[in-house]
This record gives sequence, structure tokens and C-alpha cells, in this order.
Amino acid sequence: MAQTVETDTARLDRLIQTYWTPLKIFFLATFPSLREQADTFLQEFAEDKVLKKGWLQRADRSRGKFRDFLKTSLRNFVLDRLSRAEVRHAPVSLDELDREFPAAEEASNEFDLTWVKTLLAETLRRMEADCKDPAQEQPRRTRIWEMFRIRLLEPMFNDAPPVPYDELIGRFDLKSPTDASNMLLTGKRMFKAHLGRVIKEYAEQDAATAAEIQELEKFLGRLAGGK
Amino acid sequence: MADFDSAGAMARSEARSLAAFMAAGSESARLWRPEELAAIFRHQMAAPALVDLAGFDPATAERLKTLTSAQNLLLTSFRDLFLHAVPPVELLELTKDFAKANMDQADSALPNDVAAALYYISIASALARLDRRISRLNDAELRKGFSWARERAWVDEKTRQLLGEAMQKISSGDPTT
Repeated sequence: MAQTVETDTARLDRLIQTYWTPLKIFFLATFPSLREQADTFLQEFAEDKVLKKGWLQRADRSRGKFRDFLKTSLRNFVLDRLSRAEVRHAPVSLDELDREFPAAEEASNEFDLTWVKTLLAETLRRMEADCKDPAQEQPRRTRIWEMFRIRLLEPMFNDAPPVPYDELIGRFDLKSPTDASNMLLTGKRMFKAHLGRVIKEYAEQDAATAAEIQELEKFLGRLAGGK
Repeated sequence: MADFDSAGAMARSEARSLAAFMAAGSESARLWRPEELAAIFRHQMAAPALVDLAGFDPATAERLKTLTSAQNLLLTSFRDLFLHAVPPVELLELTKDFAKANMDQADSALPNDVAAALYYISIASALARLDRRISRLNDAELRKGFSWARERAWVDEKTRQLLGEAMQKISSGDPTT
């Protein structure tokens, strides 16, 4: 039991570190007048709430996403602190805060968008490290990363021009189009596997992980469509 | 090898790029652009038959090695196979099966059009060179398929001629076929 508690704490600590930026963005968007104390509040939230025994158990996965639980938990924590007048600087009244709540959806969207960015960055970081691991089959794994990088990442995020197929043949010593396709498909499968692992660190169950991926795709689609 | 700054790229990206990336990263998303079909077809036709066909199963791979060695076709490309004066029918059948296995599959290793072209060209080669039918498609279906393949802008002239010869075999009502 003690070891399980310690494992949970270490895991949550790592989650907080990884997703610090989206948490801060949510905090700043929800409580803009408390900007100067953002890091303090977040640190206290992490120490006094998240890393305390029992917090994670209250996250009922059947009732909603972990991200929503995190947002609600942070918001309630701050409101609770404010209502107990523990703010050191000029206090902000709850009436003033009430006027900020219409922006709740915007704050939530900002949090979720930053969360996705953090998630994808972490996924790609791990995938690249995995592909370049000298203990893995080389140079094939590094080539898989390269193919994934020049076919997907560079055109999508750096506006790089598409590398002509004929150039790929020479660059990767491709025997046939099947060889080329398998390389790219393997890259996509690796990306998907790493994405699943990163999400499972907070979603915990396979079904919740799959649901979270769908949710994030829907969320991005909604934002991208301007709906 | 250039580096990709994952954190930086994600941080400055908008939802649209992220959504497009998630969609493109899916295994069912198209791997190649339509304008790449010509280069892919050329590559496929120049590829050694042994490389792709050996992927079926160990027994087939072994049979393939025997066939190509016997016919001194070890380094034969698909193009050389199709245009050969007397192509081994077993190799043409394997090619047809390989092409069919890659047609209409979301995660296929070949673009659908290239797989379909390969399918009809292998049937055409058997018909034109060996007077053999290696498919259960009827004349109308074959004619349609050969015609479709001939009309692809990225099919080379010699292959187009082969398809034409096969179409003539059907039209002539050659009793041997």
C-alpha cells in the first residue's frame, strides 16, 4: 500500500510538472487579477491538493474527464483560499471574480488547447527518443523518424515544401513503394502508441485513453472550425 | 539530419494545424499525394518482384526464389516480368494476388490506383503473352479494367501497348482464351 501511494505521488508530481503550462494558463485566464501570485497558488495547489492522499481517488472517471476534474479542482482550491482571506496582496472580492466567470469557457478552451500542445510535444519527444535509441534496430528506426518528420511534421508545422517521392527513394534507399509506405505507416503506429502511453498516464484505463483521444480530436476540430 | 523542435512547433501552432496533424497521423489517412502517383508507379514497375511478392508467406517466398532462379529472373523488375516474351504464369498470378491484397484497403502499402493498375497489367500480361486467363473477371469487366489502366496518365507507353494487346485478345474472341 505504501509503495502504491508513493508511486501515485511520483506519477502525479510528474503530471503536474508536465502540464504546468496549461494549468498556469487556465489559472491566469480564470483569475487574471491574481496574475502576480499564479506560481504560488499553483505550487500550493500541487502540494496541498494534488499530491495529498485521496485527491486522485476523487476523480471519478465515469463522471468526466481528468482534465475537467483538474480544472474544477484548481478553481475550487483558489476560491476556497480566497474565501478564507489567505491572499497576501490586495484581496479580490468574490463579486469581482464573479464578473470574470463569463470567460469560463474561454479559460477552459485555452487550458485544453495548451494541454493538447503539451501532450503532443511530449509524445513527439518520446517517439523521437525511441526511434533514435541505439539499442533499437538501427539505422531503420532513425529512418522511420526521419520519414515521419519530413512527410508530416515539417510540412505541417514549419511550412516546409513536400519532399518529392523520387528524392525519398534515394534518401531512404527504398526498394519499392511498399517499403516507403511501410516506413511511413510504422511511424504513424509508433506515434499512436506513444500518444496512447502519454495519455494513459492520466487517463489510467484503456477505454478512457481511447475516449480522451477522440475528445481531443473533436475539441481541435471544433476550435479549428471556429464553432 | 535536421532536428525538429517538437515543443516549439506545438507551442506556436494553431488548432487548425494540430487538428490536421492528428488527422494526417491516423493510419487510415492517405499516405501519398495524387501528384505522386506517377513517381510511385515508376518505382513499383522498376522494383524487383522478389522484394514485394516474398512478403506473402515463407512457402511462397521459397517458391518465388525457385521460380525466379530457374528463369534467371532474380533481379527482374515488375516491368521486365510484364513485358517478358514468356513471363512465368505463377509470378503473374502472385503479382495479381499481391495487387488485389492492396486494393481498397485503408492501410494498404500501395495507393489504390497503383494497386489496381498492377492488378490489371498482370492479367493483361498473361493474356497478351501466354493466351492465359488468370482471373475470373468476364470480358466486359476485363475490357473496363484494361481501358481504365490505359487511361492513367502515369502509365508508360509500353505498358499501355501491352494493355492494348490484351484488349485485342478479348475483342477477337480468341478461342484459346
